[in-house]
Amino acid sequence: MNTQVSLDLEVMLETQGLCKYWGGLKALDDVSLQFYDKQLHGIVGPNGAGKSTLLNMLCGHYQPTRGSILHKGEAIESIRPWAFARRGIGRSFQKTNIYSGATCLENCCVAVQRRMGGNFNFLRSRYTQKVLDEIATEALEKVGLRHRRDVIASQISYGEQRQLEIAMVLATAPEVLLLDEPMAGMGHEESQLIIELLKKLRREYCIVLVEHDMDAVFELSDQLTVMVDGQHLTTGTVDQVREDTRVKEAYLGQGDEVF
Amino acid sequence: MLFNKRTERIFIWVFFPLALLMPLFLAENAFYISKMTSVMIFALFVMSLDYLVGRCGLITLGHAMFYGLGGYLFWMIAPEYEAVNFWVYTFYICMIASAVALVIGFLVLRTSGIYMIMITLAFAQMAFYFFSDSIEFGGNDGLFIYVKPETSIFGLSFFNLDDPVHFYYLCLLSLFNTLVFFRLLIRSRFGRVVDAIHENPGRTTALGYNIFLFRLMSYVIASALGAYAGYLFTLQYGFVNPSMLAWTTSGSALVMSILGGMGSIYGAILGTFVYEGLHYTLEHLTEHWMLFMGALIIAMVMVFKNGIAGYMEKLLEKRS
Repeated sequence: MNTQVSLDLEVMLETQGLCKYWGGLKALDDVSLQFYDKQLHGIVGPNGAGKSTLLNMLCGHYQPTRGSILHKGEAIESIRPWAFARRGIGRSFQKTNIYSGATCLENCCVAVQRRMGGNFNFLRSRYTQKVLDEIATEALEKVGLRHRRDVIASQISYGEQRQLEIAMVLATAPEVLLLDEPMAGMGHEESQLIIELLKKLRREYCIVLVEHDMDAVFELSDQLTVMVDGQHLTTGTVDQVREDTRVKEAYLGQGDEVF
Repeated sequence: MLFNKRTERIFIWVFFPLALLMPLFLAENAFYISKMTSVMIFALFVMSLDYLVGRCGLITLGHAMFYGLGGYLFWMIAPEYEAVNFWVYTFYICMIASAVALVIGFLVLRTSGIYMIMITLAFAQMAFYFFSDSIEFGGNDGLFIYVKPETSIFGLSFFNLDDPVHFYYLCLLSLFNTLVFFRLLIRSRFGRVVDAIHENPGRTTALGYNIFLFRLMSYVIASALGAYAGYLFTLQYGFVNPSMLAWTTSGSALVMSILGGMGSIYGAILGTFVYEGLHYTLEHLTEHWMLFMGALIIAMVMVFKNGIAGYMEKLLEKRS
């Protein structure tokens, strides 16, 4: 059933009847969703609901068993994983996934360089292009890591590494941001930093946010999707979802007191 | 700076001037000149392997295939009784080896880790048995090269390849150039992506890089230089034989690379010289040299965690 409201915004990313089966296990079953530009779309659900599977397919990491993914109306489910990023679909990872032996700046430079060209330039030094450094620094600035620019990534705190993770995605100049639990394992203060950051970013990008931190998701989401057992349960604004009795039953069991 | 480690700069300032002066003192002793030359040629080969293994994370047991190919290719394309131009044939051999590497790399690089080790080994063994079983290529005995190339550029000839000292300097120059080339490559923007792929391939794909292309490119470059080393070997001794392509050649090159410090590039020179030096010394001391050699290498690998280069860096680099 489709309870999703249509908005007057451009649909950036869309899934149609998306399925992912691992043998007999239906990790994701017939999910159709629309993600709008300049909106933050939260996805919640208990463990094993298929949130990460969905995200992994949106970024091309997994191939769907059935169904299609549309980016600005074009079917992209069969293109190569690296081509997703070139179309402006950037993702961050649930487990911190950075170049931990390099400086924060270098981490972002790798991300910037892809679209700046010169990737097959064998002789010219990587350190000569000032513009590249500047754009990479800007990305660090956006997430508030400018002061960590020249520090080796493995030596910054866990929370900062999560911020760097987002900076790297931003450095690819994406239109769509797929964020897989950016606040996982963070303390309250660090989470607050990410929430502030996402508040700034959500009017600039189409953001898909998978997150366990309920307060954060409720605070940030324009649209909210609830998934259970690989299936799409409901989508709507935060208030609509809060009122939905099926959500209370399916997602929280008998936990009325939470809402 | 191109050589950004102090240890590497010290090594270059010690090794290359010494190597440059050596023939002045040992010109009388043809054996040492020829020994040094062959070790330098093999160091060049190990260096190309070191780039693949240590820098790109592509572990191959079939690199000797290109070493042998360099020799066989020269026999195949050069006329038998006529001196050809060294530089032109260097170009030909590197180009043909690149084309071969492109095809083989295309198949091999679809796998990784242990599977890649196995499939590169399989290709190398195929090449080994092809050359050692075919009568046209001289079978087990290999082939002789009767005429060495001449080295003129626009009528100016700097090297006479029949002169061992000249050939020695050619190999020294090649080794130095290869070292500089790899340093440039590592420092370049291409090198940035290669480093990124080595450290975290998944993330690099997620950033939009087609990592297969970068790996293929690295494989082609390293293979072409491996073939160049084999070509030099063939010119030095005037023959090619299938043992150049044997997996034991790849294996000992891999040991030298690990011994020297994987990924350090200049460590390849260190590793090769230490390995060959030990080999030479032990061979003269005892008949059972292999036993002691093995034990010593195990000990060294255990003591020097990141190879000899890594150990030297630990001693010489300033603490940051």
